[in-house]
Amino acid sequence: MNPQRFLNHLRKELPDWVGRGWVTPISAEAILQHVGARPVGTHFLASALAVLGVLLFGSGIITYFAANWDAMPKLAKLAVLLSTLWFSHGVGGYLLREDRYPRLAQALLLLGVILFGANVMLIAQIYHIQSHYPNGILLWALGGLLTAYLMPSQPAMVAALALAILWTGMESFGFERIHGAFLVVWLACLPRIFQHSWRAAAHVACIGLLLWLFFVFLNLENYSEWGKDKGLFSMQLYFLSCCILFLIGLLMDTAARFAPFAGIVQRYPVIAGLLSFYTLTSPRLQSGQYWVGDEAVRATANTTWMIATLTALAAVVLLAAWHRRRAGGAARPAYLHWGQALIAGIAALILVNLFVGGIYGGLVALAFNLLFFAGVIWLIVAGERRSDRFLVNSGFIFFALALLSRYVDTFWTLLNRSFFFMAGGAILILGGFFLEKQRRRLTGEILARRRNQGGREV
Amino acid sequence: MTLRVGLILLIQTLALTAMVAMKQWTLNTGTPILLETQPVDPRSLFRGDYVRLNYTINTIKLDEVGGEDVFRRYERVYVVLKPGGRYWEPVSVHQSWPTVESGVVIIKGEVGSTIDAAGEPQTRSRKQRLNVRYGVEDYFVPEGAGRELEVRRDGKHIDLRIAVDRYGNAGIKAVLVDGEERYIETLF
Repeated sequence: MNPQRFLNHLRKELPDWVGRGWVTPISAEAILQHVGARPVGTHFLASALAVLGVLLFGSGIITYFAANWDAMPKLAKLAVLLSTLWFSHGVGGYLLREDRYPRLAQALLLLGVILFGANVMLIAQIYHIQSHYPNGILLWALGGLLTAYLMPSQPAMVAALALAILWTGMESFGFERIHGAFLVVWLACLPRIFQHSWRAAAHVACIGLLLWLFFVFLNLENYSEWGKDKGLFSMQLYFLSCCILFLIGLLMDTAARFAPFAGIVQRYPVIAGLLSFYTLTSPRLQSGQYWVGDEAVRATANTTWMIATLTALAAVVLLAAWHRRRAGGAARPAYLHWGQALIAGIAALILVNLFVGGIYGGLVALAFNLLFFAGVIWLIVAGERRSDRFLVNSGFIFFALALLSRYVDTFWTLLNRSFFFMAGGAILILGGFFLEKQRRRLTGEILARRRNQGGREV
Repeated sequence: MTLRVGLILLIQTLALTAMVAMKQWTLNTGTPILLETQPVDPRSLFRGDYVRLNYTINTIKLDEVGGEDVFRRYERVYVVLKPGGRYWEPVSVHQSWPTVESGVVIIKGEVGSTIDAAGEPQTRSRKQRLNVRYGVEDYFVPEGAGRELEVRRDGKHIDLRIAVDRYGNAGIKAVLVDGEERYIETLF
């Protein structure tokens, strides 16, 4: 919390706490003096302005030299490129060493990372270097990683991770391959993130891993050994991967060393898992009708899909059992038991789905829809019990999304178009009003509960 | 801290210098060969301030050259070139570094696409045509100069002098307009 806001909050709350006898008047005064004595600056504003300034300055440099590029000899170009790189790193390092203006120092180090990338691109242009083009981004990412490790610098780490994601995107889509090398760079980032508890970098790392997994499953269609119906089975596998990551997040919650990152590691797999599970509710996907006019006949999974899916399912079961062992006990809330039953149901359906072929895809889609709605309701209940607004909000959003999708699937061909849109509009207005009312009520209760408990958001 | 900043600057500067040095090594030690460029669609010829060059050797008809038969998209290939009348021409294409006689060069490339005679994507046919990129297809030019290089639009002929080093890496040494060197690559 912003220190000034925290102080104001304490000023409001402390008289009440004194009145209840929780805090003595002397202690209340001491707390206010202690918090009030902390340096209350415009940290956020200073950081934001410094980063904005760096970005503008970096853009300006690039634009200036781009406009005057032709008039400069190669040696002058190289001198300009290297001197700007040395300047930004040098001044950033000096400020960090002197422990002055740490935010400006970090901003200058970020500028150094940006300039290193600009140097890579411009030197490639000057010398007509056109090797495998994602390599330029990889070199840039490694330059950022070097700065992140040695300085250390969280902005440089965030930049390195973002560049690594761009690199794997280029390799995955530009060259249609499963790009395992990303994992090496990604894993290289983790020790520093944990060591310094870099939360922003942890967010980007989580997003990066889920995106990379998505790219992997999209590219399976380029490998013949995976057989037919790759979209359906790869989505099942992606969902299970999200479950695995989510369970790892739950396990992290049980270890003090990793607990600060547990919330982040749980959050993104929930979103990606919901999206993939929502995709699995599509009757077209389950029936093998990928394109309009396709026959609603699908193939069963081949051996490769079965081995991959069973391995992922086994990993889910083992991780869930491990979590139960570490976090189990008499105090285990009922909603967790229901959650386990739900996951068991989903796992069973995914398993059965491997063997379903022919014209029965529609039935499987129905089962997936039932479990999806049950799962979303469970998520809302779990969010309410855990006082987690994120889970409640996600649950309501996906509930509305699935409801709308099924309405379109069901009534698009059955109703007259005008009735379709009128009924759809009415459902949207009334359903949206009801859902929003419930969502606000629940999140309001969570907020009020948290205020009373003095807790913080997970 | 000073040591760490110095280490960052040293490693990053070395990486950038290595990019220049490797390219310059190719240009200085490589065998110079002359390659013919083919007319390309003028609408896609220029993008920004660089010229997209389309060489005759970018398209290889497998039934006209030796080497292996089956290639996949994005695969690394090694193309053996020998001197023809005026230009160097492909002799064979391989998936691994081939053993060759003297008087030829091996240029490293990447399969951009594989198509059959009817224009359909194909992977197992001797009639297959490979589209191969060698990393010398883009040439950055001063602003506004690109149009001058537009191939054969005003009857001028554009050729490229390429250096190919002993590892198959290629680099543009010079751009020739009607046989006259117009742009020559130098270190500084």
